[in-house]
Amino acid sequence: MNVTARLAAFGLVAASVVALAGCSSIAAAGTSAKSAVEPLVLYAAEGFDAVVPKAFTAKTGIPVTVVDDSTGPLLTKVAAERNNPQWSMLWVDGATAFAALDSQGQLLPYQANASWNAAGKSILPADHSYNPTGTTVMAALIYNAARATDVPKTYQDLLGAAYTGKVGMNDPSQSGPTYPFIAGVMNQLGGTSGGIKAGETYFAKLKANGVKVFPTNGDTLHALETGQIQYGLIQSSAATGEVVKAKATADFQPKVVYLPKSTLLPSIIGIDKKISAVQQAEAKKFVDYVLSPEGQAVMLTGDPTGDSLFWPVVNSAPSLKALPAFPTDYQTIDPVFWGAKQPEIVTWFDTNVK
Amino acid sequence: MSHQLVTFDRDTGRSRLDGTHVGAGAWPVGAEGPSPDEITRSQSRRVRARFTPLAAFWVLIGAIIILPIALFLCVAFSPALLGQGTEWFTLSAFATALNGHLLLGFVNSLVIGVTTAVLSAAIAFGLAWIVQRTDAPGRRIWTGVIFALLLTPSYLVALGWERLLEPNGVLQTLGFDPSGARDVFYGPVGIVVVLTVKGVPFAYLAISNALRGLGHEFEDAVRVHGGGPFASITVVITLLGPAIWAALAIVFAESVSDFGVASTLANDAHFTVATFTLYNAVQAYPVQFPVAAAVSWILLILVVLALVAQGRALRGRSYRVLGGRSRPAVRRRLSRPAKTTVSVALIGFVVAALGVPAFGAVSASLISGLGTLGTHEWSLANYSRVIGSPSLSDPLAYSAELAAITATVTVILAVVCARVLASRGTTAGGRLLDLVLLAAVALPGIVFAAGYIFAYNLPITQALGIHLYGTTALLFLAYLATALPSTSRVLVGSMSQIQESMMHASRVHGQGAVRSWLSIVLPVIARPVISAWLLTYTATLLELPVSQLLAPPGSQPISVGITAALSKYDFGGGTAMEILAILSALAVVGLGYLLFRILTPPGWRHLGGTQ
Repeated sequence: MNVTARLAAFGLVAASVVALAGCSSIAAAGTSAKSAVEPLVLYAAEGFDAVVPKAFTAKTGIPVTVVDDSTGPLLTKVAAERNNPQWSMLWVDGATAFAALDSQGQLLPYQANASWNAAGKSILPADHSYNPTGTTVMAALIYNAARATDVPKTYQDLLGAAYTGKVGMNDPSQSGPTYPFIAGVMNQLGGTSGGIKAGETYFAKLKANGVKVFPTNGDTLHALETGQIQYGLIQSSAATGEVVKAKATADFQPKVVYLPKSTLLPSIIGIDKKISAVQQAEAKKFVDYVLSPEGQAVMLTGDPTGDSLFWPVVNSAPSLKALPAFPTDYQTIDPVFWGAKQPEIVTWFDTNVK
Repeated sequence: MSHQLVTFDRDTGRSRLDGTHVGAGAWPVGAEGPSPDEITRSQSRRVRARFTPLAAFWVLIGAIIILPIALFLCVAFSPALLGQGTEWFTLSAFATALNGHLLLGFVNSLVIGVTTAVLSAAIAFGLAWIVQRTDAPGRRIWTGVIFALLLTPSYLVALGWERLLEPNGVLQTLGFDPSGARDVFYGPVGIVVVLTVKGVPFAYLAISNALRGLGHEFEDAVRVHGGGPFASITVVITLLGPAIWAALAIVFAESVSDFGVASTLANDAHFTVATFTLYNAVQAYPVQFPVAAAVSWILLILVVLALVAQGRALRGRSYRVLGGRSRPAVRRRLSRPAKTTVSVALIGFVVAALGVPAFGAVSASLISGLGTLGTHEWSLANYSRVIGSPSLSDPLAYSAELAAITATVTVILAVVCARVLASRGTTAGGRLLDLVLLAAVALPGIVFAAGYIFAYNLPITQALGIHLYGTTALLFLAYLATALPSTSRVLVGSMSQIQESMMHASRVHGQGAVRSWLSIVLPVIARPVISAWLLTYTATLLELPVSQLLAPPGSQPISVGITAALSKYDFGGGTAMEILAILSALAVVGLGYLLFRILTPPGWRHLGGTQ
């Protein structure tokens, strides 16, 4: 045996000993017991995804393990697991991902035991493959009333001279909520029958009028604060959250308006079709709990200056005091049509607008 | 390689993997066995195959690196293979990926990668020379600076520069006009600066370890033959070839796989890189793994280009300079003006490399309500909120424990890898390992992690009772695979220098192989091994993409916790967690070097030292 081989032998033995000893000590802490009640695995990217499962477990005794992360990595994980899904429920913002999962036959249809309001009904898919649990809108236009004198009333207004170089928005390749906004404007201008051409023309004009693109909501807000822009197009919960958190001064008076039409960006929960019958029954209970007045109240406690600032999609559900009135002129985009167009439109945006 | 994995068993007619020899006694009772002559002939014909330790090493490399990458790359041609589509063979993913946007990004990535690699290696060589071969003031702090650099997340570096240069930012508030600098920095120049800063630690660890092992006799020889300082530096650079090429390759691969820095800093400049299409494919839904795999093939071409360059540069030469007669290097006494110049350059580098991101971190974590409108107040509220919270302590303890295990195992395996890599020019195994390890760095972490899910979440593995996916054990294996390439490259420079003659001398004097290795090689590589352990520990502690996709349900690594806080607009809390995690890692680095000083025999520390 030469030196390299001996070294390899020694290395492998030593490496195995350390790895086995180390990993078994960590794993010992995390093993779970099998019983008639099967634990649910919830993949979630919501500010209230810690408090709601805790309250649900306290009420029902059904344990829920939460994998909490941003929407992007969670969806990547779900897609990579397609051969052999490891999640019981997925709870993230935006219906497009669920429409795609449904078309792949991955979702368990379930008609939740809930009394939907008008917004909720507009989101609900015909085959009940997923359920909304609340909604935000894209975009909220946040502006500094201490500096900005003009307040736009329509998206077309933003193309005028008063707004040249003063408007900022997020980058759809980095900010999850931004694609639904772009798709929403394209839907409003061209619709699923008219195509995306009119929408592309609008964003090209917006670019010609000096729109600035920042990576995410936080960056766009920072640009607003430092005076790089006067108007920011961001997610409604982030905009309301900033109004709640910021102290108004002589120089800063953040205000929010909603331009017609506001595109709904709901938080959606879906159930994996491949889980066991026991887990399916438990997951249905979980969805019903989330949509009950009790569950909706718990959702409000998770992230009062962020994700908890949502508008209810069910009747007689509470909402936070800081939440403004629901925009009356809203639309729901077809998640199947616009979901399929996402890669094409994001690449177009990156090439022509950013 | 001459080692065979498979033995053909004539009893059963099946191949065996257990490596036991099949001799005459293995024939079934009652069956007519071959004559002794026949046995001899058959043995000489038969490939003598055994399951050697080196073969086991290759099986491990295959399982943790080659299999996940290969499966991911297969998806480009055959989406149906892993449930990512219906077609069993198609080239449509390449058609989608290969548009003008990607080709432009390919060229940009190549230029950025080469520039960053050369700059990082040049700066690292200069630093290593100043620290080890001169009496420049303040050189003892450099190890700390390098590890701080290594730990600094690139988003903080980018954030710091943005806060300084942005309109109404710090410089403008102070009365400067940064608009010119901003135009230059918010684009390729800024990307190169940030990626170079991130590349310097890798290059420094690779080069400084090798420089330490280079005796002074070569410089003496140059001077004896009339060569000046320039000629002696040229000789030193040539002799450090393997380490310098390792540094170039690793920084190049790290740079071409980057997406975050390019997308943040060059967001306005519309500067696209090859990874843009890849991230667009895996971050939007429906996730298009076939397209991401097609882009990965493009990135592999870049890696092959890098390896061809390396192979041409190093071919046919020997770099074994560390033998029994190596002489300690002499520290050059710098004149007063030279000391001043060096000090100013070092301070400038520290300010640019660490001061700016530190400023970014301070502005993010000490100022309350960052990202909100209104006046800001300085406060430690973010830190006091985070320190007492289990959302910091539990993930930090989990990640620290995993990082320590990963570092230990990685270093052991990296010594073997470095040894194989050091023989790169002579064996096919060395060349293959080189390609595999560099490919693992050049492919973005998210690709690697998705490959792990493909490989270890197959219904067939689950049916066989192998439940690795969703366990800490698989996360550990993925960390190991992520860390092994860079750690091996940091060690390869040192391993390339060791002359076999020292081992032979030891054996001739009656020492066994193991004792010889422990008494001859281990002392020589002890210091590089400690650096490599600390490098792996610190890099693993804050590793993000693999942690995000492979962490078991219910266990959250610290990096995922930080990202979750940042994504929910808790910039103050997220950054405070990050700073505390970095401080904890720096404490581990300090402790590691302290223990090395206290526990090792004096001879180990003097090896490769200076007079």
